[in-house]
Amino acid sequence: MRIFDLIRMGLRNLTRRKARTLLTVIGVIIGTVSIVVMISVGIGMNESFEASVMENGSMTIINVSSENWEENEDGQWTSTTQKLDGEALEKIRAIEHVKGVTPIINNWSMGLFSGKYQGWGNFMIMDMDCYEDFGYPALEDGTYPNKETSKDTVYFGAQAQQNEFYYWDGRRSKTKTIDFDRDKVEIKFQEYQINPRKKEYTIKLKNIGKIAQSPSGYSEADWSIFMDIDMYKEHYTKYANTLKIDDRKKALASLEKYERIMINVDNMNYVSDVQDEIEKMGYKSTSDMQYIEPMKETAEMLELVLGAIGAVAMLVSAINIANTMIMSIYERTKEIGIMKVLGCKVGDVRKLFLFEAGIIGLIGGIVGIGLSYVASWALNTYGGQIFESLMSGSLGVAEGSQFSVIPFWLPFFAAFFGMSVGVLSGFFPALRATKISAIEAMKSE
Amino acid sequence: MSEPIIEVKNAKKIYKMGKERIRAVDGVSFTVDKGEFCCLLGTSGSGKSTLLNLMAGIEKLTSGQILIKGESIGGMSENKLSKFRQENLGFVFQSYNLIGSMTALENVELPLVFKRVRGGKRKKMARRILKQVGLGGRMRHKPKEMSGGQQQRVGIARAFVSKPDIVFADEPTGNLDSHTTIEVMELIKSMAEKNNQTIVMVTHDRKLSEYADKIIHILDGKIESVEIVDHTGAGNASPPEEKSPLEVQSDDLSTAVEQTPQDNTEESKGIEESTEVREEETHETN
Ligand SMILES: Nc1ncnc2c1ncn2[C@@H]1O[C@H](COP(=O)(O)OP(=O)(O)O)[C@@H](O)[C@H]1O
Ligand SMILES: [Mg+2]
Repeated sequence: MRIFDLIRMGLRNLTRRKARTLLTVIGVIIGTVSIVVMISVGIGMNESFEASVMENGSMTIINVSSENWEENEDGQWTSTTQKLDGEALEKIRAIEHVKGVTPIINNWSMGLFSGKYQGWGNFMIMDMDCYEDFGYPALEDGTYPNKETSKDTVYFGAQAQQNEFYYWDGRRSKTKTIDFDRDKVEIKFQEYQINPRKKEYTIKLKNIGKIAQSPSGYSEADWSIFMDIDMYKEHYTKYANTLKIDDRKKALASLEKYERIMINVDNMNYVSDVQDEIEKMGYKSTSDMQYIEPMKETAEMLELVLGAIGAVAMLVSAINIANTMIMSIYERTKEIGIMKVLGCKVGDVRKLFLFEAGIIGLIGGIVGIGLSYVASWALNTYGGQIFESLMSGSLGVAEGSQFSVIPFWLPFFAAFFGMSVGVLSGFFPALRATKISAIEAMKSE
Repeated sequence: MSEPIIEVKNAKKIYKMGKERIRAVDGVSFTVDKGEFCCLLGTSGSGKSTLLNLMAGIEKLTSGQILIKGESIGGMSENKLSKFRQENLGFVFQSYNLIGSMTALENVELPLVFKRVRGGKRKKMARRILKQVGLGGRMRHKPKEMSGGQQQRVGIARAFVSKPDIVFADEPTGNLDSHTTIEVMELIKSMAEKNNQTIVMVTHDRKLSEYADKIIHILDGKIESVEIVDHTGAGNASPPEEKSPLEVQSDDLSTAVEQTPQDNTEESKGIEESTEVREEETHETN
């Protein structure tokens, strides 16, 4: 048979039993909508997570801070402190799945000077070998700083480079933006009173690294000035030596205490395990992951429920198609016998039935996709309240994110899937049709 | 004179029904020549249909061999058989076996559809043959909307449309009244003569076998006798010809060759009448 004749004959057979075909197609539509909506909600959830990740920083990062704020039963915030030193650092470093760990010192009393002008910066003092691990942006030339390059280089974030410097000439204030390629810049520690007997300690910056802008343009990296902790310690010790004896002791002691320890875990899935380990060591820790976790669990459960509904609906529609095809073969037994005697090849009989089953699946799939878009739209428009109640107690959904996202490949996948379900469920009935003996078939009425 | 187109060699078909074995066809040998009208005659249950189905490859032989155009029909794969049917065989059935959801035209087109003939050419061929059988005005009718005689004419058109070398007909007039029977028999005969096609027809009706050139009498799955009918003598029966050696192979063939029937002249008259009737009906439909 020519393919065109086969198609015509198949379509004609389907339209001969309109109600039955329609009901079978409706079954496939329900199955398709369930599956497409399930996938789209799954994708929507994932995209919300990714959006949350973008807003809140990397999901693999854990922070152990020396000061922790907690809300008690009365709704009051109280802080507790914990001591973070080299020992804590090494213990944490030894935990499995910890990829990078760095102490962090935020020294707010470091001033930037350029001639008469003065500026301020948020200094991030860390182990620059870990810089790349924590997802900070690359330098403008595309490379990342490390301990070697950071021996005498300080790195400015994209916004920090634009910071204005001020000068008070006694009557009015003047501002200027520093050109890091030409202007000389110095750093002074201003934590303790200057010891008049010693020369004030300044760091004359020889090299300044420029960090490219982060994707969001306003992340921590953009506002910060990065300095390696070894470089800091070296200069800070020299600074301490210029101080009066009491101050010197305090300053040197402060070098042994970190404000924060930042940890990067090699995989999102181990973040809570690592946090448990840190807890066992007696330290409190926080991560974005711990806020996202409940939301993720709810989403996964929802996906599972939807997936089960979709799978059951699709299974039922597959059985439905098979049933329709078997009925159709019973009805057409005689016809099949006649066709065979008139020279119709067995392969053509099989193709005919597979085509009929496949078309039911394909039409169901295509209409199902259409309805899925409607369902997806309804979900995005009216689904907010439902989801919010499901997500109560968690971070909620990122602003502007969608509950149901149908990517461009999903319609094609669904159409193909529908057709495959049809063809697969039509396979055994079709095989049965080919086995019908012409002589028996012609005797039947 | 002419070469055999069908050779049946010691064909056997045994049905097993539980412990019982039914020898429906029991060691039959004969030949059919090209262009011959061969009739399998016998009482009900004698095994005629089974034999025809064996020859057409619809049933599988238990043993023996059947050659059509020199090819063994029993040894063919399903696909080969389908192709062989498309090219060489046509069928007319007792119960017409038209497809109820299709019009007369579509039913006649069907063998050509399987043969991969293109739509336009196919329609032209089907229309022409439907006009030939006198159904020029009924092409768009469904089988239900036609009389038995008309349905069988569609059946005949379908059997002949692809100009097969052999047309098998199993009691083609079994469901028709005597009047229509004559029309249909005439039609089959005239169609076959036009293209020198071979007909193998099954019947239990002694009178209908008069249309044949060769009558094979079947009894209990065996050949009782083979009778050659001579139509050359104007209405007169001629003595039966001698049987070919192949035809005598059947072990049980002890019965003498039957005499040709005496009422041959009457039969010819009936045929003439039927031709007229057919023409009348053609007028009616146009
Ligand atoms: N499929 C079958 N199974 C068992 N027996 C059968 C079958 N077909 C035919 N027969 C038997 O074979 C014999 C010949 O049948 P058939 O060829 O139909 O006879 P006829 O056509 O001469 O009336 C009968 O006895 C019939 O009962
Ligand atoms: Mg019979």
